[in-house]
Amino acid sequence: MSNPSRNNPLLQRFIPEARELLQASAGGLLRLEKNPQDGPAINEVFRAVHTLKGSSGLFDATALTRLVHAAEDLLGAVRAQEIVLDSSLVDMLLDSLDQVSLWVDRLEGDAELPADADGVASRMASGLRARVASKDSPETATTADATLPAEAPPIWLHRLPVESLRVGFRRACRGATVLALCYEPDPGCFYAGTDPLQAALQVPEAMAFTIEAVAPWGPVADLDPYHCNLRFHILTDAPRTEVEQAIRYELDQVSFSPVSARDLVQIAGEPSDGPVWDDFYEAASAQYAAGDLAAIRASAATLRSFTGPGLWRNDALSWLEDAASATAPDHDLVRALIDAAGTGRFGGAGNSTVSATASGAPTTLLDGPNGAVARSILAGQRQALGKDGYDEIRLASVAAVVGNLLVGLGLDAQRHAFQQAIVDTHESRSTLPLLIFLDVLESGGTPDTLPPSDPLPSITSATDLPKAADLPKSTAPGPGPGPGPDGAARNAAPEVRAPQKTLKVEQAKVDLLMNLIGELVVSKNSLPFLAKRAEETYGSRDMSREIKEQYAVIDRLAQEMQGAIMQVQMLPVSDIFDRFPRLVRDLARKLGKQIDLSVEGEDTAADKTIIEALGDPLLHIVRNSLDHGIEQPEIREAAGKARTASLRLRARQEADGVVIEVQDDGRGIDPARIRAAAIEKGVIDADEAGRLSDQEAINLIYRPGFSTAHEISDLSGRGVGMDVVLTTVEKLGGRVSVTSRLGEGTTTRLTLPLSMAVTRVMVVEAADGVYGVPMDMIAETVRVPESRIQRIKRAEAFVLRDIVIPLMRMSTLLGVPARQRNSDEEAEEAVLVCQIDGRHVGLVIDDFREGMDVILKPLQGALAGMRGYSGTALLGDGRVLLILDLKELI
Amino acid sequence: MSAEQKQILVVEDGATMRMFYRDVLSRAGFVVEEAANGFEGLERALLGRFDMLIVDINMPKMDGYELLSRLRNEPALRAIPMVAISTEAGDQDAARAYDAGANLYLVKPADPVALVQTARLLTGAAA
Repeated sequence: MSNPSRNNPLLQRFIPEARELLQASAGGLLRLEKNPQDGPAINEVFRAVHTLKGSSGLFDATALTRLVHAAEDLLGAVRAQEIVLDSSLVDMLLDSLDQVSLWVDRLEGDAELPADADGVASRMASGLRARVASKDSPETATTADATLPAEAPPIWLHRLPVESLRVGFRRACRGATVLALCYEPDPGCFYAGTDPLQAALQVPEAMAFTIEAVAPWGPVADLDPYHCNLRFHILTDAPRTEVEQAIRYELDQVSFSPVSARDLVQIAGEPSDGPVWDDFYEAASAQYAAGDLAAIRASAATLRSFTGPGLWRNDALSWLEDAASATAPDHDLVRALIDAAGTGRFGGAGNSTVSATASGAPTTLLDGPNGAVARSILAGQRQALGKDGYDEIRLASVAAVVGNLLVGLGLDAQRHAFQQAIVDTHESRSTLPLLIFLDVLESGGTPDTLPPSDPLPSITSATDLPKAADLPKSTAPGPGPGPGPDGAARNAAPEVRAPQKTLKVEQAKVDLLMNLIGELVVSKNSLPFLAKRAEETYGSRDMSREIKEQYAVIDRLAQEMQGAIMQVQMLPVSDIFDRFPRLVRDLARKLGKQIDLSVEGEDTAADKTIIEALGDPLLHIVRNSLDHGIEQPEIREAAGKARTASLRLRARQEADGVVIEVQDDGRGIDPARIRAAAIEKGVIDADEAGRLSDQEAINLIYRPGFSTAHEISDLSGRGVGMDVVLTTVEKLGGRVSVTSRLGEGTTTRLTLPLSMAVTRVMVVEAADGVYGVPMDMIAETVRVPESRIQRIKRAEAFVLRDIVIPLMRMSTLLGVPARQRNSDEEAEEAVLVCQIDGRHVGLVIDDFREGMDVILKPLQGALAGMRGYSGTALLGDGRVLLILDLKELI
Repeated sequence: MSAEQKQILVVEDGATMRMFYRDVLSRAGFVVEEAANGFEGLERALLGRFDMLIVDINMPKMDGYELLSRLRNEPALRAIPMVAISTEAGDQDAARAYDAGANLYLVKPADPVALVQTARLLTGAAA
């Protein structure tokens, strides 16, 4: 281990960052010294030190973190103008930064701090803290260690056995300082002759002692017995110096966190309710107000002897008794515990809610390895819901989180009750149903497995919520009916079910329907074949006619059905348009431009897949317009335009597609500049540029690697150009066109199909096979007499209405031999004129066939990697049609 | 089992912290994207399709509180789980973050095991 920092990429990243931050802080401090009123400078220094503190916490560099933390607090006080930054203070801070800088060098070399670091850090930190404290009340300055700001209790605390926590809690209540130690030995410690277990056992006065694996163990075959994969968690109330002495050889691998009595509280048990609790709550609150802790203790003890020992509230009472008997009672804690016993919930904001875990209760749903985390997440959701009751915005993410949590925990049985709670919540416009659901979940009840006679256990633990009677009837029963088609449960409470106006369906189910109807549309195409056979092969005209009649009926039904199913997953474009007003406003501000955005046709609907995929391209176009198209107000004024530019976002339905337009009245695209830039960037050469029409030149902006912006602005120019727009839109089967008038503005038009499920293709014959070509690639079909085809070296071309169109032979592209032409056949070639990347190309094929709607299926299995084909489709007569991907072929 | 490739956006100004999140979360099977400040975070969140956002509170230009509330008020991001992370352990800081729209408030440096558990539960990824 000659250079350990090299083995730790995270540390390698940290070192340069730390140096940069230290440099920035030192520079800022010097500026501050010259001008103490320099607001940006103090912010910069504070920020840099703050970031340094955050990052250093990831490493075993406790001393460094501690010193930086002290510096941050001092700077915080300076920033809040609580203390004045004088030269002596700057000196102290600079000294501290220098020390940190030395340690960073040391970390780079040895991956650990020198042995004396703890001492140095504590000396320097107390120096810094003394300056902060001198402005505070004098008593806080007396206990140097106690002035350390409260750190969050380590999250593993609640993985310790509850008995140990209880012992620690009692000692903490008696005034002892309880330390939580995490000792993670170096993985290679065995080579250094360390016995981690022995080392850990040296910690005096250990109340809890647990060992866990750092990383999952993995298969036995891969196990490296010489690699230490352990982590020790220890709770002790021995003085820190004594602990440090006992484990002095491993000190750099140990982190210490002082924990308060409150951090140690862990209440567990069954939920319960009844008037006794309310009486107690009232009485104890009065006693608390009177400051009579002895009375509180007595009330708690009495009630505890009455009530069942397995109850959560009973457990809360026992903690309360301990807290109230403390020699130096923590009044806030006593209050919190009275609330816990009185209301059934132990709370407080932030991390203290984590303490409300009940891992001891055997029946709870939230047991298991994720239990503690799940509980803290649920506690977070209560806070995220906010205090103001029903709020749709807040509700959305909370519902998503709780839903995900149920999935993550595998609590499938609860999902039904949860969905019902959400429905009820929306119906009643009150968060109560959701809160009740959370209560049930947290208290370990299983709403759908409880016997029906149970008198609504869910409401019991929500006594601090508005009375159930005040709410609309439908919400009162809380968790809702059990899962599945449980008829009995539904009959028992018929009014429970809220009238459902909308139905949530999994996307996969709709997709399946789409696929099936697609198959149906295609397979009905076999009926005309059948009719033909009936007439030709079996000579039955009547039969043929009947089949055709039936076909007409099925055809109409299938099409209607297809339309109906497509409607199911149609979304309005407002889904994507909605984000633009805000975005445009923010970007306009950032760019110093004035823009008036108008949105039209938000109700236009298109297939969900299209709407969802359209967000990014549209964003690009709008940003491009803001960035390059729309001028600064002054420039606009000088050009005789209104200072405020207008940007219009329009959507409308046209034939069987959706058209979306982005129109601005900016400076427009200058074809000359585009040509010049394209040549400079090597997109095209000068000759080619000269031949391009203005429109063709404008189309160049969609070529990869093209960007006209002179300087790379903050917004565009991140390496994603307009070619992304083109690619995305084409993937959706759509088209992009740009029209622009110099000085007057630019309009970008996206034309998209309504649905992607069905693709229209033309069937063509080439080289003794049939292939499909997507209709939207085909510009026109022509028959060209052989005599008009001109050979230019080895290439071929022909002239179509004064435009030279290069010719390619499909057989060559596909790599199959061309069909031998009969000599008496007319010397004429069938040419498919295709439009690819805005250019025309003629494809010589053998013959044209009909156009048809097909369901495109991607190539799968062994064929998946084949280039040149975008997929397959089934023909009416059962044959497989290969659909060509012309872009790749050519 | 993998985390079904859930995508997480980390908005954090410290390069080391970003790397830490990337390390821990991508090892657990998440796809992690990074943004180095609030503006970039806002843009990426709008451009990408994430299953969860991790937002540092103390950042230059636009701080985490502002970012959280901006993100939350975007119709497209209304339902996305957001985790606020800060070095401050105070109840007030947590309350402010929740108020701004966070679903969870964590204190730095986050325990890697707990971070992965949290991410899995918040995104509904199988463990």
